[in-house]
Amino acid sequence: MRLNPPDAYWKKDATLFFSKRFALLIKMIYPMALIVPVAVSDIPAQYAAAVVGIVAVMAGTFGAGESLTADLNDGILVRIALTPLSPRRIVFEILAINAVLDFIQLLPALLLVYVLHPAPLVWVLAATFGVFATLVTANCIGIFIANFTSSPADVLLYATAILAPLIYVSGFFRNQNPTGISATLRDFVPFAYMNDALKAVFGLAGEAGAVPFEVFVYPGIIAAVLAFGVCLTGPRLLSPRF
Amino acid sequence: MADTRKTSPALEVRNVARRYKSSGRGVEGLSLTVEPGEVFGLMGPNGSGKSTLLRVLSTAIAPESGTFRIGGVDGLKERRKARAKMGLMVDRPTHYGDLTGRANAYLFARSYGMEEGKAEGVLEELFDYFGLAEYGDDRAKTYSYGMGKKLALIEAMAHGPELLLLDEPSLGLDYTSQLAYQKKIRELAAAGVAVLVASNQVDEVEAMCDRVAFLHRGRLIALGTPESFVSSLEGTRRIVATLRNPVEYGALEGVPGVERVATEGRDLVVHCAQRPGIVADVVAGLIDAGGDITDLAVRRPSLEDVYVKLTGEALRDYEA
Repeated sequence: MRLNPPDAYWKKDATLFFSKRFALLIKMIYPMALIVPVAVSDIPAQYAAAVVGIVAVMAGTFGAGESLTADLNDGILVRIALTPLSPRRIVFEILAINAVLDFIQLLPALLLVYVLHPAPLVWVLAATFGVFATLVTANCIGIFIANFTSSPADVLLYATAILAPLIYVSGFFRNQNPTGISATLRDFVPFAYMNDALKAVFGLAGEAGAVPFEVFVYPGIIAAVLAFGVCLTGPRLLSPRF
Repeated sequence: MADTRKTSPALEVRNVARRYKSSGRGVEGLSLTVEPGEVFGLMGPNGSGKSTLLRVLSTAIAPESGTFRIGGVDGLKERRKARAKMGLMVDRPTHYGDLTGRANAYLFARSYGMEEGKAEGVLEELFDYFGLAEYGDDRAKTYSYGMGKKLALIEAMAHGPELLLLDEPSLGLDYTSQLAYQKKIRELAAAGVAVLVASNQVDEVEAMCDRVAFLHRGRLIALGTPESFVSSLEGTRRIVATLRNPVEYGALEGVPGVERVATEGRDLVVHCAQRPGIVADVVAGLIDAGGDITDLAVRRPSLEDVYVKLTGEALRDYEA
Protein backbone atom coordinates (compact mmCIF):
# COMPACT_ATOMS: atom_id res chain seq x y z
CA MET A 1 0.00 0.00 0.00
CA ARG A 2 1.43 3.36 -0.96
CA LEU A 3 0.49 6.62 0.70
CA ASN A 4 1.90 9.11 -1.78
CA PRO A 5 0.41 10.16 -4.13
CA PRO A 6 -2.72 9.73 -2.04
CA ASP A 7 -5.73 8.02 -3.57
CA ALA A 8 -7.98 8.50 -0.54
CA TYR A 9 -8.64 11.32 1.87
CA TRP A 10 -7.09 9.53 4.84
CA LYS A 11 -3.92 8.88 2.85
CA LYS A 12 -3.68 12.59 2.15
CA ASP A 13 -3.66 13.30 5.90
CA ALA A 14 -1.13 10.51 6.52
CA THR A 15 1.11 11.79 3.72
CA LEU A 16 1.04 15.32 5.10
CA PHE A 17 1.70 14.04 8.63
CA PHE A 18 4.82 12.13 7.65
CA SER A 19 6.10 14.43 4.90
CA LYS A 20 7.12 17.42 7.02
CA ARG A 21 10.04 16.11 9.03
CA PHE A 22 10.58 19.02 11.39
CA ALA A 23 6.87 19.30 12.16
CA LEU A 24 6.78 15.53 12.67
CA LEU A 25 9.67 15.75 15.12
CA ILE A 26 7.87 18.44 17.13
CA LYS A 27 4.63 16.45 17.05
CA MET A 28 6.40 13.39 18.40
CA ILE A 29 8.40 15.28 21.02
CA TYR A 30 5.71 17.43 22.60
CA PRO A 31 3.71 14.59 24.22
CA MET A 32 6.99 13.19 25.55
CA ALA A 33 7.95 16.61 26.89
CA LEU A 34 4.68 16.77 28.83
CA ILE A 35 4.29 13.16 29.93
CA VAL A 36 7.84 11.91 30.64
CA PRO A 37 8.65 14.44 33.42
CA VAL A 38 5.41 13.45 35.09
CA ALA A 39 6.15 9.75 34.69
CA VAL A 40 9.61 10.01 36.26
CA SER A 41 8.46 12.25 39.11
CA ASP A 42 6.90 11.04 42.33
CA ILE A 43 3.66 13.00 42.09
CA PRO A 44 0.55 11.10 43.21
CA ALA A 45 -0.57 8.46 40.72
CA GLN A 46 -4.00 9.98 40.14
CA TYR A 47 -2.44 13.27 39.02
CA ALA A 48 0.11 11.54 36.80
CA ALA A 49 -2.79 9.69 35.17
CA ALA A 50 -4.69 12.95 34.84
CA VAL A 51 -1.81 14.66 33.02
CA VAL A 52 -1.55 11.83 30.49
CA GLY A 53 -5.32 11.93 30.06
CA ILE A 54 -5.41 15.70 29.52
CA VAL A 55 -2.69 15.46 26.85
CA ALA A 56 -4.73 12.80 25.01
CA VAL A 57 -7.99 14.76 25.26
CA MET A 58 -6.44 18.02 24.06
CA ALA A 59 -4.46 16.41 21.23
CA GLY A 60 -7.57 14.71 19.90
CA THR A 61 -10.01 17.60 20.18
CA PHE A 62 -7.84 20.40 18.88
CA GLY A 63 -6.16 18.28 16.20
CA ALA A 64 -9.29 17.36 14.27
CA GLY A 65 -11.24 20.56 14.99
CA GLU A 66 -8.50 22.97 13.98
CA SER A 67 -7.33 21.16 10.85
CA LEU A 68 -10.94 20.69 9.75
CA THR A 69 -11.87 24.35 10.15
CA ALA A 70 -8.68 25.36 8.33
CA ASP A 71 -9.55 23.10 5.39
CA LEU A 72 -13.16 24.30 5.42
CA ASN A 73 -12.07 27.94 5.36
CA ASP A 74 -9.70 27.20 2.53
CA GLY A 75 -12.54 25.73 0.47
CA ILE A 76 -10.58 22.62 -0.42
CA LEU A 77 -12.68 20.32 1.72
CA VAL A 78 -15.90 21.58 0.13
CA ARG A 79 -14.34 20.95 -3.27
CA ILE A 80 -13.44 17.38 -2.24
CA ALA A 81 -17.01 16.93 -1.04
CA LEU A 82 -18.22 17.74 -4.58
CA THR A 83 -16.62 14.56 -5.89
CA PRO A 84 -18.79 11.43 -5.84
CA LEU A 85 -17.34 10.45 -2.43
CA SER A 86 -19.89 10.22 0.34
CA PRO A 87 -19.51 13.13 2.79
CA ARG A 88 -20.11 10.66 5.63
CA ARG A 89 -17.23 8.56 4.39
CA ILE A 90 -14.99 11.61 4.16
CA VAL A 91 -15.83 12.53 7.76
CA PHE A 92 -15.19 8.95 8.85
CA GLU A 93 -11.79 9.02 7.16
CA ILE A 94 -10.97 12.36 8.82
CA LEU A 95 -11.97 10.94 12.20
CA ALA A 96 -10.17 7.63 11.84
CA ILE A 97 -6.89 8.96 10.48
CA ASN A 98 -6.72 11.81 13.00
CA ALA A 99 -7.32 9.39 15.88
CA VAL A 100 -4.64 7.02 14.57
CA LEU A 101 -2.11 9.81 13.97
CA ASP A 102 -2.77 11.26 17.43
CA PHE A 103 -2.25 7.78 18.84
CA ILE A 104 1.06 7.44 16.99
CA GLN A 105 2.14 10.75 18.55
CA LEU A 106 1.27 9.56 22.05
CA LEU A 107 2.54 6.00 21.75
CA PRO A 108 6.27 6.64 22.49
CA ALA A 109 5.37 8.56 25.64
CA LEU A 110 2.93 5.83 26.69
CA LEU A 111 5.57 3.14 26.14
CA LEU A 112 7.97 5.08 28.36
CA VAL A 113 5.30 5.26 31.05
CA TYR A 114 4.85 1.49 30.85
CA VAL A 115 8.62 0.99 31.12
CA LEU A 116 8.93 3.32 34.08
CA HIS A 117 5.81 1.94 35.80
CA PRO A 118 5.66 -1.80 35.18
CA ALA A 119 2.05 -2.93 35.52
CA PRO A 120 0.08 -6.11 34.77
CA LEU A 121 -0.22 -6.62 31.02
CA VAL A 122 -3.99 -6.49 31.14
CA TRP A 123 -3.87 -2.95 32.59
CA VAL A 124 -1.23 -1.89 30.05
CA LEU A 125 -3.48 -3.09 27.23
CA ALA A 126 -6.54 -1.54 28.87
CA ALA A 127 -4.77 1.81 29.27
CA THR A 128 -3.61 1.73 25.66
CA PHE A 129 -7.10 0.96 24.43
CA GLY A 130 -8.56 3.56 26.80
CA VAL A 131 -6.25 6.22 25.36
CA PHE A 132 -7.28 5.28 21.82
CA ALA A 133 -10.98 5.40 22.68
CA THR A 134 -10.38 8.80 24.26
CA LEU A 135 -8.66 10.02 21.11
CA VAL A 136 -11.61 8.84 18.99
CA THR A 137 -14.02 10.56 21.37
CA ALA A 138 -11.97 13.76 21.46
CA ASN A 139 -11.74 13.83 17.66
CA CYS A 140 -15.52 13.36 17.50
CA ILE A 141 -15.89 16.42 19.71
CA GLY A 142 -13.51 18.40 17.48
CA ILE A 143 -15.45 17.42 14.34
CA PHE A 144 -18.76 18.17 16.05
CA ILE A 145 -17.51 21.65 16.95
CA ALA A 146 -16.40 22.26 13.34
CA ASN A 147 -20.08 21.97 12.38
CA PHE A 148 -20.77 25.24 14.16
CA THR A 149 -17.78 27.41 13.47
CA SER A 150 -15.27 28.07 10.75
CA SER A 151 -12.81 29.76 13.09
CA PRO A 152 -9.94 27.76 14.60
CA ALA A 153 -9.96 30.20 17.53
CA ASP A 154 -13.62 29.39 18.19
CA VAL A 155 -12.71 25.70 18.23
CA LEU A 156 -10.48 26.38 21.24
CA LEU A 157 -13.28 28.24 23.00
CA TYR A 158 -16.03 25.73 22.28
CA ALA A 159 -13.76 22.77 23.04
CA THR A 160 -12.89 24.20 26.43
CA ALA A 161 -16.59 24.69 27.19
CA ILE A 162 -17.34 21.08 26.27
CA LEU A 163 -14.24 19.44 27.74
CA ALA A 164 -14.19 21.13 31.12
CA PRO A 165 -17.37 19.45 32.43
CA LEU A 166 -16.40 16.12 30.83
CA ILE A 167 -12.98 16.22 32.51
CA TYR A 168 -14.67 17.06 35.82
CA VAL A 169 -17.16 14.22 35.47
CA SER A 170 -14.36 11.82 34.53
CA GLY A 171 -12.65 12.55 37.85
CA PHE A 172 -9.23 13.51 36.54
CA PHE A 173 -8.59 15.97 39.38
CA ARG A 174 -11.77 16.51 41.40
CA ASN A 175 -14.79 14.23 41.73
CA GLN A 176 -12.55 11.16 41.95
CA ASN A 177 -15.04 9.12 43.91
CA PRO A 178 -18.41 10.18 42.53
CA THR A 179 -21.74 8.92 43.79
CA GLY A 180 -25.30 9.09 42.56
CA ILE A 181 -26.01 10.85 39.28
CA SER A 182 -22.39 11.97 38.98
CA ALA A 183 -21.28 8.32 39.05
CA THR A 184 -23.90 7.41 36.45
CA LEU A 185 -22.76 10.24 34.17
CA ARG A 186 -19.16 9.15 34.60
CA ASP A 187 -20.04 5.74 33.14
CA PHE A 188 -20.91 7.43 29.84
CA VAL A 189 -17.62 9.32 29.42
CA PRO A 190 -14.82 7.32 27.76
CA PHE A 191 -12.20 9.60 29.38
CA ALA A 192 -13.14 8.10 32.75
CA TYR A 193 -12.24 4.56 31.70
CA MET A 194 -8.88 5.72 30.37
CA ASN A 195 -8.29 7.54 33.63
CA ASP A 196 -9.06 4.40 35.63
CA ALA A 197 -6.70 2.30 33.52
CA LEU A 198 -3.89 4.87 33.72
CA LYS A 199 -4.32 5.09 37.49
CA ALA A 200 -3.89 1.33 37.61
CA VAL A 201 -0.72 1.61 35.49
CA PHE A 202 0.65 4.27 37.85
CA GLY A 203 0.09 1.93 40.78
CA LEU A 204 -3.47 2.53 41.93
CA ALA A 205 -4.99 -0.68 40.60
CA GLY A 206 -6.95 -1.14 43.78
CA GLU A 207 -8.55 2.30 43.49
CA ALA A 208 -9.38 2.15 39.81
CA GLY A 209 -13.12 2.51 39.38
CA ALA A 210 -13.33 0.17 36.41
CA VAL A 211 -12.10 -3.36 35.86
CA PRO A 212 -10.10 -4.13 32.68
CA PHE A 213 -13.10 -5.78 31.01
CA GLU A 214 -15.09 -2.55 31.31
CA VAL A 215 -12.24 -0.51 29.84
CA PHE A 216 -12.15 -2.80 26.81
CA VAL A 217 -15.90 -2.75 26.20
CA TYR A 218 -17.71 0.42 27.31
CA PRO A 219 -15.51 3.22 25.94
CA GLY A 220 -15.32 1.32 22.64
CA ILE A 221 -19.10 1.22 22.40
CA ILE A 222 -19.49 4.88 23.40
CA ALA A 223 -16.78 6.03 20.97
CA ALA A 224 -18.37 3.98 18.16
CA VAL A 225 -21.77 5.59 18.80
CA LEU A 226 -20.20 9.06 18.82
CA ALA A 227 -18.26 8.29 15.63
CA PHE A 228 -21.47 7.15 13.93
CA GLY A 229 -23.16 10.34 15.09
CA VAL A 230 -20.52 12.75 13.78
CA CYS A 231 -20.31 10.89 10.47
CA LEU A 232 -24.01 11.64 10.03
CA THR A 233 -23.17 15.34 10.20
CA GLY A 234 -20.99 14.94 7.08
CA PRO A 235 -23.37 16.50 4.52
CA ARG A 236 -23.86 19.58 6.73
CA LEU A 237 -20.24 19.84 7.79
CA LEU A 238 -18.90 19.71 4.24
CA SER A 239 -21.44 22.01 2.63
CA PRO A 240 -20.40 25.58 1.73
CA ARG A 241 -21.18 28.22 4.34
CA PHE A 242 -22.51 31.57 3.12
CA MET B 1 -35.03 0.32 -21.00
CA ALA B 2 -33.96 3.40 -22.95
CA ASP B 3 -30.37 4.55 -22.92
CA THR B 4 -30.68 7.90 -21.14
CA ARG B 5 -27.20 8.98 -22.22
CA LYS B 6 -28.18 9.01 -25.84
CA THR B 7 -31.54 10.69 -25.40
CA SER B 8 -31.02 13.12 -22.52
CA PRO B 9 -29.44 16.55 -22.75
CA ALA B 10 -26.13 16.75 -20.93
CA LEU B 11 -27.67 19.42 -18.72
CA GLU B 12 -31.29 20.36 -18.29
CA VAL B 13 -32.15 23.20 -15.90
CA ARG B 14 -35.78 24.01 -15.12
CA ASN B 15 -36.90 27.11 -13.22
CA VAL B 16 -34.02 27.09 -10.78
CA ALA B 17 -34.19 29.78 -8.12
CA ARG B 18 -31.77 30.50 -5.32
CA ARG B 19 -31.33 33.79 -3.47
CA TYR B 20 -28.80 34.55 -0.73
CA LYS B 21 -30.61 36.00 2.23
CA SER B 22 -27.65 38.15 3.19
CA SER B 23 -27.26 39.99 -0.13
CA GLY B 24 -30.50 39.27 -1.96
CA ARG B 25 -28.44 38.21 -4.97
CA GLY B 26 -28.79 34.86 -6.72
CA VAL B 27 -30.79 33.41 -9.59
CA GLU B 28 -34.50 33.40 -10.32
CA GLY B 29 -36.61 31.14 -12.58
CA LEU B 30 -33.64 30.09 -14.66
CA SER B 31 -34.02 27.44 -17.36
CA LEU B 32 -31.58 26.26 -19.98
CA THR B 33 -30.42 23.14 -21.76
CA VAL B 34 -26.95 22.12 -22.85
CA GLU B 35 -26.59 19.32 -25.37
CA PRO B 36 -23.71 16.83 -25.51
CA GLY B 37 -20.83 18.32 -27.47
CA GLU B 38 -22.07 21.88 -26.97
CA VAL B 39 -20.01 24.68 -25.42
CA PHE B 40 -22.41 27.00 -23.65
CA GLY B 41 -21.34 30.38 -22.31
CA LEU B 42 -22.81 32.26 -19.38
CA MET B 43 -22.17 35.98 -19.36
CA GLY B 44 -23.13 38.68 -16.93
CA PRO B 45 -21.48 41.18 -14.60
CA ASN B 46 -20.47 40.40 -11.03
CA GLY B 47 -23.56 39.57 -9.00
CA SER B 48 -25.62 38.56 -12.02
CA GLY B 49 -25.92 34.97 -10.79
CA LYS B 50 -23.34 33.06 -12.82
CA SER B 51 -21.45 31.64 -9.87
CA THR B 52 -24.65 30.97 -7.94
CA LEU B 53 -26.00 28.94 -10.85
CA LEU B 54 -22.76 26.96 -11.06
CA ARG B 55 -22.85 26.35 -7.30
CA VAL B 56 -26.37 24.96 -7.61
CA LEU B 57 -25.48 22.80 -10.63
CA SER B 58 -22.34 21.51 -8.90
CA THR B 59 -24.66 20.37 -6.05
CA ALA B 60 -22.77 22.56 -3.57
CA ILE B 61 -26.00 24.34 -2.64
CA ALA B 62 -29.61 23.35 -3.16
CA PRO B 63 -31.97 25.59 -5.10
CA GLU B 64 -35.03 26.99 -3.33
CA SER B 65 -37.12 25.77 -6.26
CA GLY B 66 -36.67 24.18 -9.64
CA THR B 67 -34.88 21.06 -10.81
CA PHE B 68 -31.91 20.11 -12.91
CA ARG B 69 -30.70 16.91 -14.52
CA ILE B 70 -27.18 16.01 -15.57
CA GLY B 71 -27.05 13.36 -18.28
CA GLY B 72 -30.56 12.30 -17.25
CA VAL B 73 -29.66 12.04 -13.56
CA ASP B 74 -31.63 14.15 -11.10
CA GLY B 75 -29.14 16.59 -9.57
CA LEU B 76 -31.20 16.96 -6.39
CA LYS B 77 -32.21 13.39 -5.66
CA GLU B 78 -29.11 11.56 -6.96
CA ARG B 79 -26.40 14.02 -6.13
CA ARG B 80 -23.48 11.61 -6.00
CA LYS B 81 -24.38 10.11 -9.38
CA ALA B 82 -24.70 13.60 -10.81
CA ARG B 83 -21.31 14.60 -9.34
CA ALA B 84 -19.69 11.59 -10.98
CA LYS B 85 -20.85 12.84 -14.38
CA MET B 86 -19.38 16.32 -14.09
CA GLY B 87 -16.03 18.00 -13.92
CA LEU B 88 -15.90 21.16 -11.91
CA MET B 89 -13.65 24.17 -11.73
CA VAL B 90 -14.63 26.76 -9.15
CA ASP B 91 -13.80 30.44 -9.53
CA ARG B 92 -11.17 30.43 -6.77
CA PRO B 93 -9.55 26.99 -6.92
CA THR B 94 -7.66 25.81 -3.86
CA HIS B 95 -5.33 22.89 -3.37
CA TYR B 96 -3.48 21.13 -0.61
CA GLY B 97 -0.43 23.36 -0.58
CA ASP B 98 1.89 20.83 1.03
CA LEU B 99 1.06 18.15 -1.53
CA THR B 100 2.63 18.28 -4.98
CA GLY B 101 0.54 19.40 -7.91
CA ARG B 102 0.53 15.85 -9.24
CA ALA B 103 -0.57 14.43 -5.87
CA ASN B 104 -3.43 16.93 -5.71
CA ALA B 105 -4.62 15.97 -9.18
CA TYR B 106 -4.20 12.27 -8.43
CA LEU B 107 -6.30 12.57 -5.26
CA PHE B 108 -9.12 14.16 -7.26
CA ALA B 109 -8.86 11.65 -10.12
CA ARG B 110 -9.09 8.73 -7.69
CA SER B 111 -11.90 10.42 -5.78
CA TYR B 112 -13.84 10.37 -9.05
CA GLY B 113 -13.25 6.63 -9.26
CA MET B 114 -10.48 6.47 -11.87
CA GLU B 115 -8.32 3.37 -11.92
CA GLU B 116 -4.75 3.86 -10.71
CA GLY B 117 -3.01 3.20 -14.03
CA LYS B 118 -5.51 5.19 -16.08
CA ALA B 119 -5.31 8.12 -13.68
CA GLU B 120 -1.53 8.22 -13.92
CA GLY B 121 -1.60 8.05 -17.73
CA VAL B 122 -4.25 10.72 -18.20
CA LEU B 123 -2.63 13.06 -15.68
CA GLU B 124 0.75 12.72 -17.32
CA GLU B 125 -0.83 13.67 -20.63
CA LEU B 126 -2.72 16.66 -19.18
CA PHE B 127 0.25 17.96 -17.18
CA ASP B 128 2.25 17.82 -20.36
CA TYR B 129 -0.50 19.49 -22.41
CA PHE B 130 -0.88 22.40 -20.00
CA GLY B 131 2.85 22.85 -19.54
CA LEU B 132 2.88 21.76 -15.90
CA ALA B 133 4.88 18.55 -16.34
CA GLU B 134 8.13 19.99 -15.02
CA TYR B 135 6.34 21.50 -12.00
CA GLY B 136 4.23 18.43 -11.25
CA ASP B 137 6.42 17.38 -8.33
CA ASP B 138 6.57 20.86 -6.79
CA ARG B 139 4.35 21.61 -3.84
CA ALA B 140 1.12 23.29 -4.91
CA LYS B 141 1.77 26.19 -2.55
CA THR B 142 4.70 27.22 -4.77
CA TYR B 143 2.40 27.56 -7.79
CA SER B 144 1.50 30.92 -9.27
CA TYR B 145 -2.18 31.86 -9.61
CA GLY B 146 -2.19 30.82 -13.27
CA MET B 147 -0.52 27.48 -12.53
CA GLY B 148 -3.13 26.86 -9.84
CA LYS B 149 -5.86 27.53 -12.42
CA LYS B 150 -4.27 25.07 -14.84
CA LEU B 151 -4.06 22.47 -12.09
CA ALA B 152 -7.76 23.03 -11.37
CA LEU B 153 -8.54 22.57 -15.08
CA ILE B 154 -6.63 19.29 -15.06
CA GLU B 155 -8.55 18.15 -11.98
CA ALA B 156 -11.83 19.04 -13.69
CA MET B 157 -11.04 17.21 -16.93
CA ALA B 158 -8.99 14.17 -15.91
CA HIS B 159 -11.79 11.74 -15.10
CA GLY B 160 -13.55 12.20 -18.44
CA PRO B 161 -16.76 13.92 -17.33
CA GLU B 162 -19.88 14.21 -19.50
CA LEU B 163 -20.36 17.80 -18.40
CA LEU B 164 -17.75 20.40 -17.52
CA LEU B 165 -18.76 23.31 -15.28
CA LEU B 166 -16.12 26.03 -15.46
CA ASP B 167 -16.23 29.31 -13.57
CA GLU B 168 -13.97 32.00 -15.07
CA PRO B 169 -11.53 29.31 -16.24
CA SER B 170 -9.15 31.46 -18.25
CA LEU B 171 -8.87 34.38 -15.84
CA GLY B 172 -5.20 34.56 -14.83
CA LEU B 173 -3.95 32.30 -17.61
CA ASP B 174 -1.24 33.59 -19.89
CA TYR B 175 -2.05 33.96 -23.58
CA THR B 176 -0.48 30.67 -24.65
CA SER B 177 -2.28 28.79 -21.90
CA GLN B 178 -5.57 30.45 -22.86
CA LEU B 179 -5.18 29.18 -26.41
CA ALA B 180 -4.25 25.71 -25.16
CA TYR B 181 -7.26 25.68 -22.87
CA GLN B 182 -9.63 26.80 -25.65
CA LYS B 183 -8.24 24.14 -27.99
CA LYS B 184 -8.71 21.47 -25.33
CA ILE B 185 -12.29 22.57 -24.72
CA ARG B 186 -13.09 22.33 -28.42
CA GLU B 187 -11.47 18.88 -28.55
CA LEU B 188 -13.54 17.69 -25.61
CA ALA B 189 -16.70 19.13 -27.15
CA ALA B 190 -15.92 17.33 -30.42
CA ALA B 191 -15.71 14.13 -28.36
CA GLY B 192 -19.20 14.75 -26.98
CA VAL B 193 -18.47 16.52 -23.70
CA ALA B 194 -20.85 19.35 -22.83
CA VAL B 195 -19.27 22.47 -21.39
CA LEU B 196 -20.94 25.22 -19.40
CA VAL B 197 -18.52 28.08 -18.96
CA ALA B 198 -19.15 31.23 -16.97
CA SER B 199 -16.89 33.90 -18.35
CA ASN B 200 -16.80 37.56 -19.20
CA GLN B 201 -13.81 37.18 -21.52
CA VAL B 202 -15.62 38.35 -24.65
CA ASP B 203 -13.05 37.07 -27.15
CA GLU B 204 -12.99 33.67 -25.51
CA VAL B 205 -16.77 33.27 -25.46
CA GLU B 206 -17.12 34.43 -29.04
CA ALA B 207 -14.40 32.05 -30.21
CA MET B 208 -15.35 29.03 -28.16
CA CYS B 209 -19.06 28.94 -27.40
CA ASP B 210 -21.80 27.52 -29.57
CA ARG B 211 -24.45 29.37 -27.60
CA VAL B 212 -24.39 32.05 -24.97
CA ALA B 213 -26.87 33.17 -22.31
CA PHE B 214 -26.82 36.60 -20.72
CA LEU B 215 -27.69 36.90 -17.04
CA HIS B 216 -28.87 40.15 -15.51
CA ARG B 217 -29.71 40.43 -11.81
CA GLY B 218 -30.28 36.69 -11.53
CA ARG B 219 -32.45 36.30 -14.58
CA LEU B 220 -31.69 34.93 -18.03
CA ILE B 221 -32.44 37.83 -20.36
CA ALA B 222 -31.24 36.49 -23.71
CA LEU B 223 -30.01 33.26 -25.21
CA GLY B 224 -28.61 32.60 -28.69
CA THR B 225 -25.49 32.07 -30.75
CA PRO B 226 -22.67 34.62 -30.46
CA GLU B 227 -22.95 35.28 -34.20
CA SER B 228 -26.67 36.05 -34.03
CA PHE B 229 -26.16 38.41 -31.12
CA VAL B 230 -23.33 40.29 -32.75
CA SER B 231 -25.06 40.47 -36.12
CA SER B 232 -28.12 41.94 -34.39
CA LEU B 233 -25.91 44.97 -33.79
CA GLU B 234 -25.09 45.30 -37.48
CA GLY B 235 -24.89 48.97 -38.27
CA THR B 236 -23.38 49.97 -34.95
CA ARG B 237 -19.76 50.68 -34.12
CA ARG B 238 -17.64 50.92 -31.03
CA ILE B 239 -15.13 53.75 -30.92
CA VAL B 240 -12.50 53.27 -28.22
CA ALA B 241 -10.41 56.31 -27.40
CA THR B 242 -7.48 56.13 -24.99
CA LEU B 243 -7.02 59.49 -23.33
CA ARG B 244 -4.06 60.95 -21.53
CA ASN B 245 -6.37 62.93 -19.27
CA PRO B 246 -9.92 62.46 -17.98
CA VAL B 247 -12.53 64.65 -19.69
CA GLU B 248 -16.12 65.68 -19.14
CA TYR B 249 -17.72 63.73 -21.97
CA GLY B 250 -21.40 64.65 -21.52
CA ALA B 251 -21.42 66.74 -24.68
CA LEU B 252 -20.44 63.70 -26.74
CA GLU B 253 -23.85 62.17 -26.13
CA GLY B 254 -25.32 65.02 -28.18
CA VAL B 255 -23.38 64.01 -31.29
CA PRO B 256 -25.88 62.59 -33.84
CA GLY B 257 -25.70 58.77 -33.89
CA VAL B 258 -24.00 58.38 -30.49
CA GLU B 259 -25.97 55.93 -28.36
CA ARG B 260 -23.90 55.56 -25.22
CA VAL B 261 -20.63 56.84 -23.80
CA ALA B 262 -18.85 55.08 -20.95
CA THR B 263 -15.40 54.83 -19.43
CA GLU B 264 -13.59 51.51 -19.31
CA GLY B 265 -10.43 52.07 -17.31
CA ARG B 266 -8.41 54.71 -19.17
CA ASP B 267 -10.49 54.25 -22.31
CA LEU B 268 -13.57 56.14 -23.33
CA VAL B 269 -15.93 53.88 -25.23
CA VAL B 270 -18.50 55.36 -27.57
CA HIS B 271 -21.27 53.14 -28.92
CA CYS B 272 -22.71 54.70 -32.02
CA ALA B 273 -24.56 54.12 -35.27
CA GLN B 274 -22.52 53.49 -38.36
CA ARG B 275 -22.77 56.61 -40.55
CA PRO B 276 -20.29 58.55 -42.65
CA GLY B 277 -18.33 61.08 -40.61
CA ILE B 278 -19.29 59.88 -37.18
CA VAL B 279 -15.72 59.03 -36.16
CA ALA B 280 -14.58 62.53 -37.08
CA ASP B 281 -17.50 64.01 -35.15
CA VAL B 282 -16.68 61.95 -32.06
CA VAL B 283 -13.00 62.85 -32.24
CA ALA B 284 -13.90 66.53 -32.67
CA GLY B 285 -16.22 66.28 -29.67
CA LEU B 286 -13.44 64.77 -27.59
CA ILE B 287 -10.94 67.44 -28.58
CA ASP B 288 -13.50 70.16 -27.87
CA ALA B 289 -13.94 68.62 -24.40
CA GLY B 290 -10.17 68.97 -23.83
CA GLY B 291 -9.29 65.33 -24.44
CA ASP B 292 -5.73 64.38 -25.43
CA ILE B 293 -6.16 61.23 -27.50
CA THR B 294 -3.22 58.81 -27.41
CA ASP B 295 -4.90 55.93 -29.21
CA LEU B 296 -8.07 55.44 -31.19
CA ALA B 297 -9.75 52.31 -32.50
CA VAL B 298 -13.00 51.66 -34.32
CA ARG B 299 -14.19 48.14 -33.64
CA ARG B 300 -17.03 45.94 -34.72
CA PRO B 301 -19.62 45.23 -32.02
CA SER B 302 -18.91 42.44 -29.55
CA LEU B 303 -20.95 40.47 -27.03
CA GLU B 304 -20.08 43.18 -24.54
CA ASP B 305 -21.98 45.68 -26.69
CA VAL B 306 -24.87 43.25 -26.92
CA TYR B 307 -25.07 43.18 -23.13
CA VAL B 308 -24.92 46.96 -22.95
CA LYS B 309 -27.73 47.21 -25.47
CA LEU B 310 -29.84 44.65 -23.61
CA THR B 311 -29.41 46.08 -20.13
CA GLY B 312 -27.89 49.53 -20.40
CA GLU B 313 -25.17 48.30 -18.03
CA ALA B 314 -21.57 47.29 -18.59
CA LEU B 315 -20.63 43.62 -18.59
CA ARG B 316 -17.42 44.08 -16.67
CA ASP B 317 -16.31 46.25 -13.82
CA TYR B 318 -13.48 48.52 -14.80
CA GLU B 319 -11.16 50.27 -12.44
CA ALA B 320 -11.46 53.99 -12.78
